[in-house]
Amino acid sequence: MRRLLAAAGAVVVLGGAVAACGSSGNGNGGSSPAAAPSCSKSGIQSLLHTKGKLTVATDNPVYPPWFIKNTPSSGKGYESAIAYAIAAKLGFSKSQVVWVHEPFSSSYAPGPKAFDFDINEVSVTAARAKAVTFSNSYYPVQQAIVARKGTPIVTNHSPAQLKTYQYGDQVGTTGLAFITGHIQPSKQPKVFDTLAEASAALEAGRIDALVTDTPTAQYMAAFQLKHPPTVLVAQFPTVGEHYGLVFAKGNQLVTCVNKAIASLKSDGTLAALQNKYLGIFLKFPTIQP
Amino acid sequence: MEQNQSPEPVDPLVGLPVRSVGGQWAPPGTFATGRGPRLFSPGGGTRATVVSTISTIVVLAALAAIFLLAPGARAVEHAFFNPTDMWQSFIGNPKQGYYSVGAAIWLNIRMFLAAEVLILAFALLIALIRHSVGPALFPIRILATGYVDFFRGVPLILVIFALGLGVPALSLPVISSQPDVVYGVAALVLSYSAYVSEVYRAGLNSVHQSQVAAARSLGLSQGTALRYVVLPQAVRNIIPPLLNDFISLQKDTALVGTLGVIEANKAADIYSETVFNFSSFTVAAILFLILTIPLARFTDRLIERDRRRRLAGAAR
Repeated sequence: MRRLLAAAGAVVVLGGAVAACGSSGNGNGGSSPAAAPSCSKSGIQSLLHTKGKLTVATDNPVYPPWFIKNTPSSGKGYESAIAYAIAAKLGFSKSQVVWVHEPFSSSYAPGPKAFDFDINEVSVTAARAKAVTFSNSYYPVQQAIVARKGTPIVTNHSPAQLKTYQYGDQVGTTGLAFITGHIQPSKQPKVFDTLAEASAALEAGRIDALVTDTPTAQYMAAFQLKHPPTVLVAQFPTVGEHYGLVFAKGNQLVTCVNKAIASLKSDGTLAALQNKYLGIFLKFPTIQP
Repeated sequence: MEQNQSPEPVDPLVGLPVRSVGGQWAPPGTFATGRGPRLFSPGGGTRATVVSTISTIVVLAALAAIFLLAPGARAVEHAFFNPTDMWQSFIGNPKQGYYSVGAAIWLNIRMFLAAEVLILAFALLIALIRHSVGPALFPIRILATGYVDFFRGVPLILVIFALGLGVPALSLPVISSQPDVVYGVAALVLSYSAYVSEVYRAGLNSVHQSQVAAARSLGLSQGTALRYVVLPQAVRNIIPPLLNDFISLQKDTALVGTLGVIEANKAADIYSETVFNFSSFTVAAILFLILTIPLARFTDRLIERDRRRRLAGAAR
């Protein structure tokens, strides 16, 4: 009897192991291109969060030039326009695109996602790609400095001088990573939960400068932070950073979305949208960190 | 330990000797604790230990099974308990964009220690004002009452924001150019002093009026009676609830991170949002536990000691 029990136990353990292998096998299969389905609208139905709809997530609030008037469904603003352009390539009408709010910090939490993809100026890094699946680039990013007009950093920003300022930024941004990784200032930067808090600190003179992507930086300097007036000091050379759409890890829909992005690139839509929404923001001197 | 002088342990509530089921006196110091099976079966200690061990294992195994066998167990394990990420966030790497959670907790400790000293003094002052009876002090009493009402009612995080963003914006000399940590600690002191002053006040009220009367009749002044008769008794009574508030204070130092200060929780947040993994929060949680658990156990010991003293008094 005891032997029988032991044997039964072994079977259970073995079965568990086999099941575990099976499930992990499926997981790996998910990201292999061989298993990719056809990218026709009917072919991707089974991959969608809600059948017949493309569910797109972004944060709340969202800012120009990425979204206009905090209304993702307007189709205006670079990221909103990109989302609708991708949807059109996949065969969805405008009314079949559903927007949901997803805070940045929960967009990468484990478990089922409440969206097909998240579009929220998320920079692609190798470490992040372990937790989520990224699409190919829909925008190459450069970082830029925003400071109050007339403060020392506006004129004195040699690499050595840049190290002497008090920086601040939003938590988890690549702007913050650029400060700590490339500028390497002598004072520890201040890290805020939102870009709005970092901006308030800049206005109040609690920080000398903040670093963010050039379009956002120029929007802040030109329209948002005017009391006291601020200025985009300069932008830094590219470090190969780019924005990607966030998918649940292993979501096969990314293959079809990447095809859509590639076709938007080749037919000039991507460049046209960048020109339309980001064009005025991109003519700035480049300085070394 | 006075119960040792008494020939038989006495139940303080009933006033009768406590007799165990086995016919033996419960060992001194363990009677009437309400804990442990020894009280009722002096001979069954081993069996009780076995039963409690087995039940502990069953409960822990059930909890572990829920965690390990859930469909998303692997994902949760990777996102929250990944050893590599835990270690990376603990040691930090500014070149990769994140700071050491282990180093950042030191800031929490310093904020806590500074705040605690200030709170103990400031809250006592508030409590003494509210406890005072002189008619001339009436306006100050009103102010103190308003202070307590206000800061107990306003969420701490709003106080932190108001001080951390508002005071620098005033552009006053000295006051407006302090480091963010100073505003954070000031907010903690303002908010917690309101709570702690009420604890003090409860302690002051717990000392019977006859104590003051007796002290005054011996010729002690109002102030001397307060200092040497009322306060020592009051403070002894409130040490457990005071420590309870300070355990809470240790954790709330994390809220100062909203001002941009890189304390442990903020460092964990930076790591999490930089590499998309939550294991750094697990590290911060463990560090906070390491801080708070010793204080919690110390509080338990004080409560137990205090309880024994009172029971000893009742037994005599």
